[in-house]
Amino acid sequence: METLVQSLVSGILTGSLYAMIGVGLTIIFGVMRIINMAHGDMVMLGMYSSFWALTLWHIDPFVSIIFWVPVAFLIGMLTYRFLLKKIVPAGELNTLLYTAGLSLFVSNLALLVWTGDYRTIKLDYAVMPLRPLGIAVPIPLAVAFGMAILITALLYWFLVKTDTGRAIRATSQEPMAAALMGVNAAQMEMVTFGLGTALACGAGVLLAPSLYLYPTVGEILVAKCFVIVVLGGLGSVQGAIAGGLLLGVVESLGAVYVSVPYKDAIGFVIFLLVLLFRPSGLFGVGKS
Amino acid sequence: MKKTLLIIIGLIVLGIAPIVIRSPFFVHLMIMVLMWTVLGASWNILGGYAGQVSFGHATFLGAGAYTTMILYLKCGVDPWYGIFLGGLVAMVISLPIGFICFRLRGPYFSLSTLAVAEIVRLVALNWESLTAGPVGLLITTLPGVSFLGQPINWESKVPFYYIIAIITLIALIMTYIVSRTRVGAYLLALREDIDSAESIGINTVKARVVALALSAFLAGIAGGFYAMYLRYVDPDAVFSIGLSVEMLFIAIVGGLATVGGPLIGAIVLVTLGESFREHFLSGHLIFYGFFMMVAIRYMPDGVWGRLNVLFKKLRLKKDVNHGTA
Repeated sequence: METLVQSLVSGILTGSLYAMIGVGLTIIFGVMRIINMAHGDMVMLGMYSSFWALTLWHIDPFVSIIFWVPVAFLIGMLTYRFLLKKIVPAGELNTLLYTAGLSLFVSNLALLVWTGDYRTIKLDYAVMPLRPLGIAVPIPLAVAFGMAILITALLYWFLVKTDTGRAIRATSQEPMAAALMGVNAAQMEMVTFGLGTALACGAGVLLAPSLYLYPTVGEILVAKCFVIVVLGGLGSVQGAIAGGLLLGVVESLGAVYVSVPYKDAIGFVIFLLVLLFRPSGLFGVGKS
Repeated sequence: MKKTLLIIIGLIVLGIAPIVIRSPFFVHLMIMVLMWTVLGASWNILGGYAGQVSFGHATFLGAGAYTTMILYLKCGVDPWYGIFLGGLVAMVISLPIGFICFRLRGPYFSLSTLAVAEIVRLVALNWESLTAGPVGLLITTLPGVSFLGQPINWESKVPFYYIIAIITLIALIMTYIVSRTRVGAYLLALREDIDSAESIGINTVKARVVALALSAFLAGIAGGFYAMYLRYVDPDAVFSIGLSVEMLFIAIVGGLATVGGPLIGAIVLVTLGESFREHFLSGHLIFYGFFMMVAIRYMPDGVWGRLNVLFKKLRLKKDVNHGTA
């Protein structure tokens, strides 16, 4: 019983960060139809940002996120404006390949500059886990969980309540009609790409104390990300949140009750099954 | 006529290159270029002609590599049959994968092949009785073979060069045959519009399965060669997403749905990558990413297509000059 609760808890904690990355990927897909293969590398850049802020300037990751997120937002907007904008009209497959190229470029640049060595972030307060009710909760992961929820909730509020958010959702639902109603689609696309990148990068900053850092970590993260957004239905924000939490829990339960080595495979098997039998996601809200 | 001449010159250059330039690095580079040409050609049959963008071709490379290795180590089958059998095994494995993934279209097909490849990699990593898991398989000696009465020296790279040169020729001829036959026409039709292709009576599932099987066969053979050349395989070396991505980059940068494209792509990218690797520890795929972005943005027909256009322009200019002279 205790193992069950323990693995549920750690699954949800990790899942919240998966959800954050997944939401970033899904809003980008929803608005621009870009399947962003470079999304995992944005997470990787976030992890390294967090590492360097701590190593060089002694700023705690959970503080440095305050300035890394806006920086990532800007970088995302610039990436869209100068690299991706011209490719988007050429169709989903071309953007998929283009972002795959971008991903390889970024991760190899990181390999060149930072080498392939595994790095870790050590925080003084991270040594002992919290033990509420006998369940071990690592402190960095708990803080990251809280911040991920806060950021995701803020984004959700932004999409639902603000004018820009409404315009983004309108562009996602029906770009033509949105443009006719006076929404500046090009601007919304840029803002959305910035937001997606900021979410990925922010999640990276939060994840850094709990994972190993290496330049090609994005490869596995982006694959997980696809599992999440396909589970939840491509383009759906609620779906990505649910999908992220679900994948976190499935992986963590799988590691305990199926086998540790195959825990990553479980996600991919579910992914294939969902793609084949429920292409609009488990909740039937995605766009196929 | 001119084309035949070019091909003959190409063959002669291919034949004498390692005899003229004896530097081991150069021979290694040539071997890598040719091996990646085969892999690019393999990817090109499915991705270029049939338009099915696979992100999981490392599966077939890995299947070929492991088949050759396991047959040699555990059953004593000579690698020269083993490489061929590796191709066949890769082909057999491709059938269920095609059955699953061809239900999906466009980018969803790509994502599904990525998922399948990851599952296969994890299986290879954990099926230790067969694959020895992350430790990998190592061979120390290759069986003695004599050619024209001379025993072949496997410590030299030159024999490997000729083997991969022959495999490359087979791959290019196979691509040429596919592009000239009915199957090739079916593939191009279904690439342009799968629904229309189906409506005029093309069995698109069958056509795609044939393309995948041929493609897997080539990748499997290249995989077998890879295992014998490096004498070592482990799951992360032969089943990684990175390898699948390299294959597709070479094919796309070289030029989709062309016979010579993968060769050009491999010459450009592998030469840049390997020379970079000589000087820096890591990050040699940086050019792959860069050229991919450039290719998608500025030359959708790849370097080969761009060269063809330039060539035609030059010829046109010459003709015009002749006309006025």
